[in-house]
Amino acid sequence: MKQGQYANDWFKLDNAAKIFPAISTKKETNTFRVQIEMTETVDKDLLQLAVDSVLERYPMFKVRLKSGLFWNYLDHNELPFYVQPLTHHVCGNLNPKDHNGYLFQIYYRDKMIALEMFHSLADGSGAFAFIKTMLYEYLLLKGYRVTPDNMVLTRDSLPSKAEYEDSNLTYYDPNNHKHVHEDRAFLIKGTPIADGNIGLISGTLSAKEVLELARSHNSTITEYIATLMMYTIYITHIQYREHLKENQKPVKIFVPVNLRKHFPSGSLRNFTNFIKSGMVMNRSDITFDEILEETKRQFAYGMQEKELIRKMSENVSFEKNIFLRMTPYFLKKFVLKIGYKKMGLLLNTLSFSNLGRIDFPESMQPYIDRISCAVYSGRYNTVNIGVSSYKDVFTITFTRSIVETTIEREFFRHFSSKGMKVTIESNYVEEY
Amino acid sequence: MKYCDKCHVEVRTNQQYCPLCHQVLKGEPDANRIEIYPEFVPLTREVLPLTKKVILFITVVAILTLLIVNLAEWDGRMWSLIPIGSILYTFMVLRIGIFSRQNIAFKLAILTTVLIGILNAIDQEITLDANKGWALNYVTPLSLLSCNSAISMIIWIKRINYRDYIFYLLTILVFSLVPLILFAFGVIQILWPAVVAFGAAIFILLVIIFFFPKSIKEEIHKRFHM
Repeated sequence: MKQGQYANDWFKLDNAAKIFPAISTKKETNTFRVQIEMTETVDKDLLQLAVDSVLERYPMFKVRLKSGLFWNYLDHNELPFYVQPLTHHVCGNLNPKDHNGYLFQIYYRDKMIALEMFHSLADGSGAFAFIKTMLYEYLLLKGYRVTPDNMVLTRDSLPSKAEYEDSNLTYYDPNNHKHVHEDRAFLIKGTPIADGNIGLISGTLSAKEVLELARSHNSTITEYIATLMMYTIYITHIQYREHLKENQKPVKIFVPVNLRKHFPSGSLRNFTNFIKSGMVMNRSDITFDEILEETKRQFAYGMQEKELIRKMSENVSFEKNIFLRMTPYFLKKFVLKIGYKKMGLLLNTLSFSNLGRIDFPESMQPYIDRISCAVYSGRYNTVNIGVSSYKDVFTITFTRSIVETTIEREFFRHFSSKGMKVTIESNYVEEY
Repeated sequence: MKYCDKCHVEVRTNQQYCPLCHQVLKGEPDANRIEIYPEFVPLTREVLPLTKKVILFITVVAILTLLIVNLAEWDGRMWSLIPIGSILYTFMVLRIGIFSRQNIAFKLAILTTVLIGILNAIDQEITLDANKGWALNYVTPLSLLSCNSAISMIIWIKRINYRDYIFYLLTILVFSLVPLILFAFGVIQILWPAVVAFGAAIFILLVIIFFFPKSIKEEIHKRFHM
């Protein structure tokens, strides 16, 4: 499609995306990565061709960030996009100037294809829709017979308004946006890794075994892992020092929720909200089951439709605030920076993104070996996890901006002590 | 595959130590295995940051020296403004004009604005009363005119990128009206440079309005949406 075919080839940033350009720095990169291991070595030329042909289908990704007087916006980018070989940086700062202005990057190495994306563009679901189309196109170019089976947006279909709309503005409720006060969360402290590198440790388990384990506790996988994270933080960082002042803050897990499952939205941009589990760990005899009960209760409360709409509307009403809107962007930036630190970063101990089960059409499955996802970790949220499962491969990826790996160690030992087979991979940061 | 008998986990990468507990791993490394993640490459110190620092250092030292000499030998005039202005301008040409990766229309617009500012300051402070006003009378309109034509030329030649540049062109066009307004209020006395600058601005504006009417409307909408 040629430039100018759309009357509308620029996009306002959506509600969630508005904040990220203002707050992102070299240390808080706000990027996430989706990693796909194929069964064969990746052909970079075909990958490039596939991406080129698919980008026209996704006008909301073929953009660059530009600044306006009041808000930034995404403007059509006519420069070419180039795939790049993978470097050791994980979720590093995506400098648009190094990527022809694009806010995402596709890397390849041996059998792996990795997509790193700045959160202003889309959330995990949007990124996955793009990846599916790209892989479909790539496999076609390789000469395999693959079919979309209604699970893949092919490049023959046309982009629609529903795909690039800001669903937050569609489903929010102007009468339900009360702000609820939250306490600051316990923060994991450690030795920062030099040069802002991010360490990645990824563990693979059997999806079936994990599901059975969670079921045996009458919980979902999300509840189980969130609880296990809290318990691990408790035994590694708080237990037997729970009387100290800095340990009185609640340990809080931030879990993004895909709102497309709750509202009929086909948006490929940001449409997520969050639920949280939090608990003040001020006793020395807290048990796993106790935390699990609390987590279940809080997740059930957070997942109520009314509560989800309230959180969405709170953000939207902030964006719609007339004083904020009338402030020029260079001043607004400071407000957003302070607001995000006080009302976002400092309220979470870590974030735990569960992409859930990822499905590909049956014809594509033989070529895809495993999938994992990772989110950046920064100055305050020093350890973050991303979880995804594909076929029977359940991957838990830790990213960390600190040298210490105690949380990862206890976390994976929990599974191995139950006799489950755990396979670890790491990006070497601990051996520098 | 390597194995850690303390954590009871298998390690898929060719690590020497367990990533979790840093103990030595058991088992032989798989020689044929291509590592999943590339080796760590330390950041090499680039020449550019050092050059930038040197330029900044020289600029600051030179400006301070000039100021101190000027104030110590005070004769009632800020003569140091002339060299300080030129040093600052050279600094900005290097930093914004050469090292920065902004688009060229932005560079031209910024450098023109700074040049006009500096020359006007020199004019006000230094020039003898009889000759005062040369910066406003001649330099301001004529440099706006040349900036205008430069950006228009670039848009005309690199047609594909006009979306990036049109905003800066519009800004300079608006600035070009200023000399004429100043003339109307009697601040400047020489009419022809102001008229030439204004005429050129109107000409370019008409070209945009007639040939790219949509882009000008969209650009304003984009840049000023709330």
